[in-house]
Amino acid sequence: MAVITLPYKYLERLTRTDRKTILDKVALIGSDVERTEEDHADVEFFPDRPDLFSPEGVARAMRGYLGIETGLPSYPVRPSGIKFTVDPQLATIRPVLGAAVIRGVKFDDESIQSIMSLQEALHWAVGRGRSKVAIGIHDMDTVKPPFHYIASRRSRGFIPLDFTEKMTMDEILEKHPKGRDYAKIVKDFPLFPLIVDDDDHVLSFPPIINGERTRVTIDTKNILLDTTGTDKRAVAVAVNIICTAMAEAGATIESVEIGGVQTPTLAPAERIVSVQECSRLIGIELTPATMAELLRKMRFGAEPAGTDKVKVQVPCYRADIMHDWDLFEDVAIAFGYDRIIAAPPATFTVGKPHPVQVNAALAREAFCGLGYLEVMPFTLTNEDVLYKRMQREEKNGVLHVMHPISIENTVVRTELLPLLLEFLTLNRHRELPQRLFTVGDVVLDCRTHQQASGVSTHPEADFSEAYASADAVLHELSIDYTVKESQDPAFIDGRRGDIVSGGKTIGVFGEIHPAVLTAFELEHSVAAFEIDLRAVPGYPAL
Amino acid sequence: MAELTQNEKRLLAVLEKEKKADAPHLAGLLGATPEAVVQWAHLAQDNGLTAVERIVAKEFVYTDEGKTYLKNGLPETQLLRFILPGTTLADLQKHEAFRIGFGQLRKKGLVKVEGTSVTKTSPASTDADESALKSPSAADPKTRELIKRGILQESETVRYTIAITPQGLAVARKGLDLREETGTLSREQIISGTWKNANLRRYDVTKLPKKAYPGKIHPYQRIIAEMREILLEMGFTELYGGIVQQSFWNFDALFQPQDHPAREMQDTFYLKETLPLPEGYEKVKAMHISGGETSSTGWGGVWKEEKAEQCVLRTHTTSVSIQHLANNPNPPVKAFCIGRVYRRETIDTTHLAEFEQLEGIVMDENVTFGNLLGILREFYHRMGFEGVRFKPSYYPYTEPSLDAEVYVDGIGWIEMGGAGVFREEVTAPLGINYPVLAWGLGVSRIAMLRLGLKDLRYLHKSDVAFLRETPSLRKTKGGL
Repeated sequence: MAVITLPYKYLERLTRTDRKTILDKVALIGSDVERTEEDHADVEFFPDRPDLFSPEGVARAMRGYLGIETGLPSYPVRPSGIKFTVDPQLATIRPVLGAAVIRGVKFDDESIQSIMSLQEALHWAVGRGRSKVAIGIHDMDTVKPPFHYIASRRSRGFIPLDFTEKMTMDEILEKHPKGRDYAKIVKDFPLFPLIVDDDDHVLSFPPIINGERTRVTIDTKNILLDTTGTDKRAVAVAVNIICTAMAEAGATIESVEIGGVQTPTLAPAERIVSVQECSRLIGIELTPATMAELLRKMRFGAEPAGTDKVKVQVPCYRADIMHDWDLFEDVAIAFGYDRIIAAPPATFTVGKPHPVQVNAALAREAFCGLGYLEVMPFTLTNEDVLYKRMQREEKNGVLHVMHPISIENTVVRTELLPLLLEFLTLNRHRELPQRLFTVGDVVLDCRTHQQASGVSTHPEADFSEAYASADAVLHELSIDYTVKESQDPAFIDGRRGDIVSGGKTIGVFGEIHPAVLTAFELEHSVAAFEIDLRAVPGYPAL
Repeated sequence: MAELTQNEKRLLAVLEKEKKADAPHLAGLLGATPEAVVQWAHLAQDNGLTAVERIVAKEFVYTDEGKTYLKNGLPETQLLRFILPGTTLADLQKHEAFRIGFGQLRKKGLVKVEGTSVTKTSPASTDADESALKSPSAADPKTRELIKRGILQESETVRYTIAITPQGLAVARKGLDLREETGTLSREQIISGTWKNANLRRYDVTKLPKKAYPGKIHPYQRIIAEMREILLEMGFTELYGGIVQQSFWNFDALFQPQDHPAREMQDTFYLKETLPLPEGYEKVKAMHISGGETSSTGWGGVWKEEKAEQCVLRTHTTSVSIQHLANNPNPPVKAFCIGRVYRRETIDTTHLAEFEQLEGIVMDENVTFGNLLGILREFYHRMGFEGVRFKPSYYPYTEPSLDAEVYVDGIGWIEMGGAGVFREEVTAPLGINYPVLAWGLGVSRIAMLRLGLKDLRYLHKSDVAFLRETPSLRKTKGGL
């Protein structure tokens, strides 16, 4: 999520209203006000709306929402006459280039801060951490057009931003803080992307760092914007968002010629949408005129077109409008979620529980009747708890997560009993007897099913108790079973039984082996059992 | 005054004559142990009827070692007697008391060692120690030393004397019912009718009972069950699905672009296992690349089969509901799922790597975003939250999207869940031709608020005492 700083004075000047009016309503266009301070507010906007990642963009949207200025904002673009060449060798490295000239910039502390923050927020939200899109802004008056986007040898050097010494690009990746942060994007390429002017001065080494030469300061008047990346659409969006934000702050935008094409155009896209479709989706009455008016409030160009259509001009900065429904959401926001009639659907339906959960509830009932207390252990655990302490062999089909967060959470549980013993360890200081149970999911071979397990600990806990409790739960769940002597090393030899049903071993019960008790740091005997609930008649095949 | 027990009455009856006596004496008269008599006397004392006096006497006893020394003299005394002019250290070492006694002699400065000869200092005497051994006294430092040496032990004997108070005497003189008391009624007494003459023991109702702990379900499970019941009442079908899901169902089918940050290794638990893609996956692929046959532009870029085949621990139960929709494309479908989901988060007091999510979906002809608001309002009202409001939000697979907030006294508006209408990019490739309303909420968030927990881990690593003490019926107010 992007948290954007909105300095009140700057925001008020751009929005042409007072801060209270803005802050009261800003959540209604889709945001969370995180903090309000004396001179600014920090507001979080959603990742699908990078056009709102600057005070300029927020002011533009709020002017529309508050009715101060509605409809499509216009951003005239004239050609700068400047060309940008692109080296064909970049096709397999970082092929896409976008650029623009921004003239007549009048920076102050707020607007320069705003453009820097916007750049960072775009790197995150649109640029996927600079890999998909990286943006560079330069003081244009320090360099000489035309500009060249080239694939350069890695040993070429220049003075990177915030340094005074010349460094090779390989050194930058090793020593410059930004170089280290973003090295992984380019380090495997034989040649590195580089932007130079006609005198061969380095402007930027995208996506890593700009040159010190073109540093933008509060005195900068004219800006050259470069945007490089791997995705055409994302690069264009980043250019459009920055250019229109700068235009909102008073600058004029000029296009650059790349491969014979003038870019950017900042022209809107057009969509013709159905009023009825929108009306049906949101559940409100609309006419082409009312719908067009709501869309204009959201800064779209919109005019009724016949009895059921609205012709919409989508501003170039609205990267999120992929589908007609994206426009319908804006209609709903402009209408106000609080004014939409909240009525449950009329179709009659009957609720139906899932058999697995019905069984689970019955198992819980049986355990509770036996005096067992339910616990709900985590499903992520580790081999030590699951197998080593239990003296059991690791099963086939155990799922190991690829990048565990800690050594405590490396596998998905394949049984429940070890986790109950861990619970007894946790509660050693609590009054005995303790009888605990759990019913829940286990996973083997990517398949999930439910098991139930119970433990009882007190000085007299024994085989007979385990057998009696297991028998009671099995009986309540209508599981027909027989018992044969078990070989499960977690239990004491001669005091353990396998539960067999339908020709398969579906559970085990008995007295926990003293070595296992010791491994779990337990001092009293434990009567325990575990049942695979797939043995319950009618358990669905999943 | 609480009801007197039979034993208190018997004691008072005896004390009426004895007035004051020690416990063993009374025990003899009552045919009980002195300990029992003291216990009864304490009960009677609580009622102001007797006065119990505890008399502690200290005495010294000899350890086995001490008993030997009492007979033979302390080791140092024995050595002193042995040392004669001309005695060598070697001679002395042969004496059985040497090991302990010699150190003591040196410590007390009673001997001198010059070369190989040992001589007494003059006047060398252990008389004071011997006298402390024979008649120990608590005030004598020599006695304390013998205790330290493990020769003597201090022991306390406690004696009780019991006296009747004037109030006790008055009660006794009024007359006491000394008939045999009946505790638990026997079968014999009930069927024979002898219970009619039995003197049934009366119990003190002011005393707290011994705690009994019933077996019960987890307080968190109870909250899950409550939500489940509400949804069943509202006509929803319950779903249950696997924890392990293919990326295709967890992400791709939900139109999550393959380069979306939520799909990265640091946010999702990936498994090395893969599963083959379902039939018709190409439609989903086409939707990602170009928007398929809808008004969508799609995400553009590339879409890789290998990425979709990889298994993950489900990051939301939407992976279960979307498969249910794909298998049941005919309206109406109203379904919900409550299940464990996984996010690769560092575990702390408010974040867990696994938690329960509730998700509901409604697919029908002509359902609207307004209907979604209606379902949510109804659900939260039934959960006890009276104030419910909605605001715009963003979820990658819904459009329009919203967040629901509920009002809680003393806290204010809190976010309770997200919702929206599934994007056409999600439904169209799966052959679902009607709008799908969907919403989800974190169950543990409500549980944490309701149970007043400061640490979410407590739900899964619970203290048995907490589970025993949390009542099944919690008094709730305004949903919490």
